[in-house]
Amino acid sequence: MELWIDHVSKGFKDKRAVIDVSLQLTPGVWGLLGANGAGKTTLMRIIAGNMEPSSGVVRYDGIPIQELGRDYRALFGYLPQEFGFYPGFTVQDYLEYVAALKGLPPRVSHERIAALLEVVSLEEVRGKRIAKLSGGMRRRVGIAQALLNDPEVLVLDEPTSGLDPGERVRFRNLMADLAQDRIVLISTHIVSDVEYIAAKIAVMKAGRLMAAGTTEELVKLVEGKVWSCAIPAEMVPAYERRLSIVSLRSQEDGTVVVRYLAERPCDNASVSTQPRLEDLYLWLFPQSEGKERGGAPWVS
Amino acid sequence: MGVLKVELKRVGKARMTWVLLVLALLLSAVLAYLPVTFCSSTYLDENGKEVTVTGRASIAYEKARQADAAGLVTPERVRAAVERYQACLRQYGVTESYDLPEGVYEREILPIAPLLHGVKEAFADPNTGMAPSLWTIQPERLDQFETVCEDRLASLMRTEQPDHPAAQQKAQAMYQEVEKPFTACPGASATVMDYQNIVGFLVLLFCTVLAAPAFSGEYQSGADDILRCAKHGRARLGAVRIIAALCVSGLAFLLCSVVYLLLSNALFGWDTTGASIQMVYSILSLVEMDLGQLQVVFILAGLLSVLASVSVTLYISARCRSTVTALGCALVLCIAPVMLYMTLPGTAADWLCTLLPASGVGIQTSILYALVDFRFLSVGGLALWVPYGMLITWGIEIPLFFALTIRRYCKMVH
Repeated sequence: MELWIDHVSKGFKDKRAVIDVSLQLTPGVWGLLGANGAGKTTLMRIIAGNMEPSSGVVRYDGIPIQELGRDYRALFGYLPQEFGFYPGFTVQDYLEYVAALKGLPPRVSHERIAALLEVVSLEEVRGKRIAKLSGGMRRRVGIAQALLNDPEVLVLDEPTSGLDPGERVRFRNLMADLAQDRIVLISTHIVSDVEYIAAKIAVMKAGRLMAAGTTEELVKLVEGKVWSCAIPAEMVPAYERRLSIVSLRSQEDGTVVVRYLAERPCDNASVSTQPRLEDLYLWLFPQSEGKERGGAPWVS
Repeated sequence: MGVLKVELKRVGKARMTWVLLVLALLLSAVLAYLPVTFCSSTYLDENGKEVTVTGRASIAYEKARQADAAGLVTPERVRAAVERYQACLRQYGVTESYDLPEGVYEREILPIAPLLHGVKEAFADPNTGMAPSLWTIQPERLDQFETVCEDRLASLMRTEQPDHPAAQQKAQAMYQEVEKPFTACPGASATVMDYQNIVGFLVLLFCTVLAAPAFSGEYQSGADDILRCAKHGRARLGAVRIIAALCVSGLAFLLCSVVYLLLSNALFGWDTTGASIQMVYSILSLVEMDLGQLQVVFILAGLLSVLASVSVTLYISARCRSTVTALGCALVLCIAPVMLYMTLPGTAADWLCTLLPASGVGIQTSILYALVDFRFLSVGGLALWVPYGMLITWGIEIPLFFALTIRRYCKMVH
């Protein structure tokens, strides 16, 4: 089982959204990290067959997905970033509708819907109109519909947006359970969503695939670029203006431990720190350009 | 079948469907009653006092007064009616019935009025088309009334289609096939048919509003992203969605038409449906049909027109990413026939109205009027009566746009 994104590019009138992306997805959870506008959604729509690439091809087990057509869609599950629903439909109605389109026989459909509603904790609102649900609940309905046909390839675009912390944890656990014998691709700009459950992570920036690999492999890219130092609290604003700050932690003695990204330490007190995935993300997607990366000492 | 079932359920669960359906049914009932309100009769009672009756009372009064005129309109009966008309005018020294003293028309002319229908038209000047006064028609000429009608049709066709002898011959051949004498039924009204046409047009508008978002609404809301990824989310969903829209539209049209006809025929009397269309519309109408048959034919032809229009609307919907754009284009398509009919010269308008699916229930372009008219489409030496052209066109458009819509929907990757 392999989904091969083979030199895929997609251009629009005034923008190249995906540029020559190649990636071989194997069973397990894959995280697709990238800032807004990085091209994640476009790539996912191409994988879903909802968008044709300008060049390149997506193959499933060596066969282009366009050729597989209905056979590919039969084993595919997709949750778009935003999706419409029918105002008159209840949760049950909607899932029955999608189940019929996925070709599930009515009896199987009823059993599967019941099981999935339990998994996404929506049993109590199954008879409620989707229009009346909260954003998080609608998202869970979206997750449930994607899982209806027990797909071999599951593509989820920003699945955790709108979910509360408890729901996020449950979602992560669900994905970890599902990852056996299937390809799960989760796009997000929230690092913690995929850091612990994704076997491999791909990072996109400005339409290009910047890196792909295990978390351990990826964090090596920022090894020696993550620093921390303790500074007086009143100096924090000055550091924030100049450095790519990852985190700040106040200490009892009134100092603040600053974790930052830079090629070189910004002062003699800074020490090199073990990198994490979040550091890589912030290194690749700085919150604002022009901050100190060189690490030349500027604080005496 | 499973996909069709859930699709029909989806359409049925949409509030818009029920709102429009209930509104259409209500309007059908209101429009069925409306022609009754236009009926008014005035007469003098035994005391010489003027009495005005309206609505159903007026219909009942006129039917009672004209009861003797019901039945076959033989040349002998027409001649007798014309003679009685002329005698009445002679008695009062006038040349037009509207100059008669108060109460005389209702007493003397009203009872024979159904038999006089079409006489002036049949004796119209062959060159100018001007109808003479009944006063000037020689009664003995009415002994050959059917021949007079055939001659008048020939002159009419020479005027209307001077460059198309095939159309002239076809019209005459069709008219000769019509069984004569015609049947008169007091109370039969063309207004009932006009309002049936309005009902058809309103239902068409409602069906258009329902069908326009069928695909474009999904693109716009993003619902399509999920559906199109499903196993049956492409051609099958496209086909099922079209079938569902056609079923709902067809059902709405049939339901509203049946409600309208049941009410209007009950109000005007089912006996009026036996009138020959030549005794309600032009006496030269080319097909043998009574009013009841015309109602049924109009329902069936109107249904075909509505289904063809919905098919085109669905194709537009499959092409547009915005519901507003799809709805706007579809509504323009609905009113295009009447706009073209009013602005374009006759032949071009005939062709376009034949090709446009919505013309079948259009306000002025309806197949109802084409059925009682003499319009032909001419290509080379061939002539095709417009209603036949319309039916053939819609029969082609439904499967054609069915296929094109599915194709467009499947290819609608962004």
